[in-house]
Amino acid sequence: MQISYKSITVIFLTLLIGSLSGCTKDFEKIDTNPTALSNSQTIAILSTAYGPLEQSIYSNYQTAQNLSADAYAGYMMSPTPFKAEYNLNYFLVDGWDRNGFVDQYNLVMAPISKIAAAGTQAKAPDLWAVALLIQVEAMDRVTDRFGPIPYSKAGTSLTSVAYDSQQAVYNEFFSQIDTAVADLQAYMAANPGKAPLGTSDLIYGGSYTEWLKFANSLRLRLAMRIVKADPVTAQAQAEKAMNATGGLLSAPSDDALIAQSGGRNNDIWTVTQSYGDNRLGAALATYLTGYSDPRLPVYCAPATDPAFPGQYIGIRIGINIAAKSDYEGYASLNTTSNFTQTAPQLIMTAAEMWFLKAEAALRGWSGAGDAQTDYETGINVSLAQWGVPSPNYINDATHLPAAYTDPKNSTNNSPALSTITIQWDPAATDEQKLERIITQKWLAIFPDGQEAWADFRRTGYPRLFTVVNNESNGTISTQTQIRRLAYPVSEYTANGTAVNNAVQTLLGGADNGGTRLWWDVNKGNF
Amino acid sequence: MELFTYCKNRQRRGFLQKMALSMKLTTAFLLLAVMQISARGLSQKISLSGKKLSLEEVFSVIEQQTPFSFVYKYNDIQRSQPVNLRLRNVSVQQALDACLKGQHLSYTIEKDIIAIKKEVGEDKEDSSSLSLLEAVSGVVTNEAGEPLAGVTVHVQGSTRSVATDGKGAFSIQADEKEILEFSIVGYESKRMPVGADKKIVVTLAVSQKSINEIVVTALGIRRSEKSLTYATQQVSGDELNRVKTDNLMNSLNGKVAGLTISPSASGVGGSAKVILRGSRSANGNNQPLYVIDGVPITNSANANGQPTSTYGGSPDGGDGISNLNPEDIASISVLEGASAAALYGSQAQNGVILITTKKGRAGQAQINFSSSFTADNIAYKPSLQSSYGQTKSGATDSWGPSISGGNHDNLKDFFQTGTNWTNAINLSTGSTNAQTYFSYANTSAKGVEPGNKLERNNFTVRETAHFLNDKLTVDANINYVAQTINNSPALGIYNNPLTGLYLFPRGLDITPYKNQYLFADSTGFARQNWPFNDALYQQNPWWIVHMEPNTATRNRILFNGSVRYDVASWLNIQVRGNVDRTADNYESDEYAGTNALYNTNGHGHLMLSNQTTEQKYGDLIANFHIPIHSDFKIDGLIGSSITDNTTQGLTLQGDLSTPDFFTPGNIIASLAGLTSITTSNTTAIVPNHSQLQAVFGNANVSYKDWAYLTLTGRNDWSSNLAFTPNFSYFYPSAGLSLILNQMLKLPKFIDYAKIRGTYAQVGNTVPPYLTFIQNTQNAAGQLVFNTANAFRTLKPERTNSTELGTDLRFLDNKLKVSFTYYKTNTKNQYFPIQPVTASLYSTGYVNAGNIQNSGIEFTLGYDLIHRGAFTWTTSVNGAVNRNKVLDVDSKDSINSFVLTSNYNNAYESHLTKGGSYGDIYGYTIQRDAQGRIVLNGSGTAADPYKPQQSSAFNYIGNPNPKFQLGWSNEFTYKKVSFSFLVDGKFGGQVLSLTQAILDQYGVSKVTGDARNQGGVKINGVDNTGKAITTVNPQVWYEAIGGRTGISGEYIYSATVVRLREAALGYTLPVPNGGFFKSVKLSLIGRNLIYFYKKAPFDPELTMSTGNGLSGVDVFNQPATRNIGLNLNVTF
Repeated sequence: MQISYKSITVIFLTLLIGSLSGCTKDFEKIDTNPTALSNSQTIAILSTAYGPLEQSIYSNYQTAQNLSADAYAGYMMSPTPFKAEYNLNYFLVDGWDRNGFVDQYNLVMAPISKIAAAGTQAKAPDLWAVALLIQVEAMDRVTDRFGPIPYSKAGTSLTSVAYDSQQAVYNEFFSQIDTAVADLQAYMAANPGKAPLGTSDLIYGGSYTEWLKFANSLRLRLAMRIVKADPVTAQAQAEKAMNATGGLLSAPSDDALIAQSGGRNNDIWTVTQSYGDNRLGAALATYLTGYSDPRLPVYCAPATDPAFPGQYIGIRIGINIAAKSDYEGYASLNTTSNFTQTAPQLIMTAAEMWFLKAEAALRGWSGAGDAQTDYETGINVSLAQWGVPSPNYINDATHLPAAYTDPKNSTNNSPALSTITIQWDPAATDEQKLERIITQKWLAIFPDGQEAWADFRRTGYPRLFTVVNNESNGTISTQTQIRRLAYPVSEYTANGTAVNNAVQTLLGGADNGGTRLWWDVNKGNF
Repeated sequence: MELFTYCKNRQRRGFLQKMALSMKLTTAFLLLAVMQISARGLSQKISLSGKKLSLEEVFSVIEQQTPFSFVYKYNDIQRSQPVNLRLRNVSVQQALDACLKGQHLSYTIEKDIIAIKKEVGEDKEDSSSLSLLEAVSGVVTNEAGEPLAGVTVHVQGSTRSVATDGKGAFSIQADEKEILEFSIVGYESKRMPVGADKKIVVTLAVSQKSINEIVVTALGIRRSEKSLTYATQQVSGDELNRVKTDNLMNSLNGKVAGLTISPSASGVGGSAKVILRGSRSANGNNQPLYVIDGVPITNSANANGQPTSTYGGSPDGGDGISNLNPEDIASISVLEGASAAALYGSQAQNGVILITTKKGRAGQAQINFSSSFTADNIAYKPSLQSSYGQTKSGATDSWGPSISGGNHDNLKDFFQTGTNWTNAINLSTGSTNAQTYFSYANTSAKGVEPGNKLERNNFTVRETAHFLNDKLTVDANINYVAQTINNSPALGIYNNPLTGLYLFPRGLDITPYKNQYLFADSTGFARQNWPFNDALYQQNPWWIVHMEPNTATRNRILFNGSVRYDVASWLNIQVRGNVDRTADNYESDEYAGTNALYNTNGHGHLMLSNQTTEQKYGDLIANFHIPIHSDFKIDGLIGSSITDNTTQGLTLQGDLSTPDFFTPGNIIASLAGLTSITTSNTTAIVPNHSQLQAVFGNANVSYKDWAYLTLTGRNDWSSNLAFTPNFSYFYPSAGLSLILNQMLKLPKFIDYAKIRGTYAQVGNTVPPYLTFIQNTQNAAGQLVFNTANAFRTLKPERTNSTELGTDLRFLDNKLKVSFTYYKTNTKNQYFPIQPVTASLYSTGYVNAGNIQNSGIEFTLGYDLIHRGAFTWTTSVNGAVNRNKVLDVDSKDSINSFVLTSNYNNAYESHLTKGGSYGDIYGYTIQRDAQGRIVLNGSGTAADPYKPQQSSAFNYIGNPNPKFQLGWSNEFTYKKVSFSFLVDGKFGGQVLSLTQAILDQYGVSKVTGDARNQGGVKINGVDNTGKAITTVNPQVWYEAIGGRTGISGEYIYSATVVRLREAALGYTLPVPNGGFFKSVKLSLIGRNLIYFYKKAPFDPELTMSTGNGLSGVDVFNQPATRNIGLNLNVTF
């Protein structure tokens, strides 16, 4: 029996040692990648994520904005015949427009959801406030391109995410701005003068005073957008913004500009100078030249075409272009002194706020002040912003927008679009006043084609050239012009149920460029 | 209880679970053990009485009452007389003496084995003559160097005969001119002259004919073949070394049913893709686990890895298994099914290749030397046209006017005769207490592409020692491998000399470019003497081989140790461990002058990496057999193991500052033109640290030598599942085999009939770092969020496998047939999926999929002729495998998983529901309902008829062979032996993008033929329905050819039948007692003849040994044909 005792002991020891070595306490350590950041390191360098977030607002700028909104706003036009049928003659290119959808989810909302997952809301509400403001700024561009989008349910499923109506999206925006404002005010009260984001913040260098102004201004911009669709909310939110503590962006020093960093180049410079794919739009050219606007040489570079050198002749949207060389020499954007390789890119200006207040005053909203004062201040702030103060400009009642002449193809010619002058006319009708405000706003907020296209759709101003060729197969009216972009095909393949449901129940029309968005109501401005 | 304090909170739960499980396993086995814990070995008393008992009955009773097992040849006891016995409490010896009395049978007892042998006839020789003879002594071992006890040593033509003792030693009186015969059940008999020195070392090979064949199974356990419930196949070291190659796995090709080997087309030292019973894992590893002497090793590739796209670019740096010295291998067992492998757990889902290495032998020192030389030449060339020249001066294609004298063979100017020298020596010596084995091998090979070289040195020392009355056995083994591979040929479009070589305009003279590939007086890109820079980025072939050198060096140490202690005759405990550490260095230099694609600033480009991969393994196993007194016998094991894998290293690469100065400090660290960013060019290799712990058990129950039941259970704990609710998973297997010939009365011509069946589950874990998602930072120090979705509910992959089979032997064991049917379903596969945009995740992971492999395997061996000095044995192995993708992830509406993306080339490989693994997708030609090609165009010169390409990718083929067959033959006549192996892989399709590109450039023979006959003859129609029969060749081939063309037109049958290897050997007569004991010289050849091959390349060659890129040729180096000599000398 001696052997058996010994044997049992040995077996038992075997198992004991085996199991001891089998302790799995190290598993989490083993399964943690030492070449990646730990959670605490992530928190420690959280602020460094903000620069890339801000830069992502203009991700894939050429396809996401330049080859659509910038042209639809009358600002710019490409001399490059990319395809016979493409966005610029109203045949929507899925591969381009998709970037204006997916990038904001992938590069802005997704990282911000990780910022939330890191517990930032509780640990650093001030950082969370800035993240929310960046998200609203970025996602507003998406909903204003497409209409209903997945927003409140984003991040809840890998395989199907429901869309929200555009009204719900805007309401969510307002409520997120509420959160941001409250968090910022609380932080600023508790930590006066502190700027934890520092230089990681490429817009305001971490200044929460400016971010608070930005939050109020963003609220005002969004409020005015929905004035036709939901006037009650619009007025309430606008008044809240105009009467808010912290105020609005009011001087050029408040302008929200994304500084270039990390090897990123100014997008206008890239598409215009580096790619040679962007030139001055005919509409902007005719207004600026017609008005003898001091911003003309600031925004634009004259033609280099040997047939008409030095002239500010833009390209009309939707024309026939046989070869890039035909229109490459037309007037361009000023990439030598303003839209340079390293120039910052604006997302919102003080001038825009003055014009929004002017419109609010026109509508009789409280806190808006006087329409004429707002209007004139807006113009002067814009001129100051570009370093060309011209005190007499606001008093110019004679200059009118010019007609368009295409020296290479007379079929593109057009008479002047508008007879609106610069000087404020208190006796004018509300409609004329609005055209004046929006036309000057349009000249002031250049080159943000996204915002300008939204104003055009909402108000019908400024008056813009129609496309010469319309390849939309009847889905988009040449006269009323394009109202939105179509959802990317990738949504139909990956998120099919949700997007089909959105088109049927939320969009209010077919999924094409002719369908009006929720805030784009087909009725008069007043 | 202190023990628990180590394992905190939730970890403690894992520990407790494990404890509970191991306790469960233990209790089961211990209970059985305790019940019968009265073993007393030889002092065991038995009682036995009965009348007219057959010897088999007697043996069976003894087996029931004692721990002993009997081995005997059935023929030997067939004619024995029934016995009448009345025994009570007698010893085993007494019982045996009683029943064997007068039966002309004798017995030997070694440990728990009783061997019954035929007694040699009565001694009729004059005993006085014997006294004149001296005693000859020696040792008998098996191929693994283990001593063989109970071997009958008989002097030929005499009646003198002895048996070896427990250490394999014997001593017998014999004259030096006499011949000794060695025989034992289970091994091939051997004859050997005594010789002058009277010290003899004999190795007996495992018999292919024997019933009680011993097979090495999982964890290195030796078991009798008849008790196995699954199929295994063994290949001996001799067979493996007959015709050597630079990667030993290639020597297995065609020899094992169900084993598919696809060598990489990457020159000497290249990897091999080894697949057992079909690919099954979409995103995981599909290659088997390699195990040496029971302990797993790694098969790690060079840090450079494998190409992942048709562009190729990064050369293959060889795999782990190719590092071994094949001369050290005693035998290889292939455990194909999950059942066989279940004890190895997750790592063995794809089967196991078990390698048993040689050991030192007790007895006289022996030295073996072998030397092998082969000369390698390319086995085929692309067919090129010779009658049409360059399109116009400066053009890279050959759609120009007809020329004469375009026959010059540019390929001959480039390819060289490769050589492979392998010299190996091994020495073994030892006493009965300690044995030593030492070996050294040097492989020195040169590829067919200039500059491609392999230099490998292997050192092995192994020591085996016995202590404490042989109760303690210690075995330690150190292998060191130093290997350098130079200039592995790049496969694919990038950096490949073959693009420039094959596409060189016909009729132009390439020799100036060979003689002067660089302009020494120029700088930057202008240095390379090459007139073309086209969309394929082709370069001067000689520039690439001289001015873009790459070197992969590897230093590998493999240390194995094991200690076994025999606690009792029924129990031993074994501890084993190994450390397998591989350090790889890789350097790739691109000199200034290299195409701008690879060398942005024109100053040259450097890539360096160093990587150390380490696997540590340890196990603790108790082997037991229960000394139970009944018809039932139980043995088994319980154990636990731990495996820890990790990788460390750095990579750096970038353009150079000072031209052609290849040192890390010369890499430009900041991006040109930017001021604010500094990028680091150094990256740490992700360590992929993972640990697997296991507790396992196995029980084998046999009944009366004809029914065998095997049960296994294993529980794994995988660190890769940390952060999930459960990182533990269990899987069982059960198998049964029945020996029909011992159960039932079978017709006489059936010597042996076994049926077997098993069911097994094997789990496979997921890659590390998927369950805890971590963020990273970019070169500018900014936080970069990882937006992959952490997989918190990840389940381990699981393969369910069923196997049924039979093993039969007929005609005096001369004909041996084995047949197996299997079906495996691999589920819960881990797939990365592309979630919807608004999910806010860039990647998601799901557990899904059901990939089924089912098939049959058979082997058939026939000892055809055994007449005098002439023998002929033949064997056939065959396998059919059907792979079906039953599901990808239908619950998430995902029905396709891309194995290889197209990256804008016309090849993609998929895993698509309803298809099979590795389906090839490409563009197809547009046809009408009648199958006629629909052409665009109006037939004018400005608007010629042109075939149309499908807008999307369509299924065009699958590369997996449907059926494989290997036929090997061995002839011997006196001192001459001849063997050959023919194998065929039938079915499947492969794609040649090489041919497509050659056609597009107008250099291929078909394009010349088409021009000669005035156009490409087709059955087509134009848009109006008008029949078109001829199309302009240039228009046609530029449309269908090229890397983005209509790849569906470049699909070929993958069927290939070849003379895989042949060896003609001659054993030289050596004088007895001379310096040499034996000398054998062989003429060897490999890949000698393609009996059938339709593809323009060897369809077996693969561009990558990973899961993708199968069945496509993109300027892969051609297969080679090898002829040489082999010399084996024993001192």
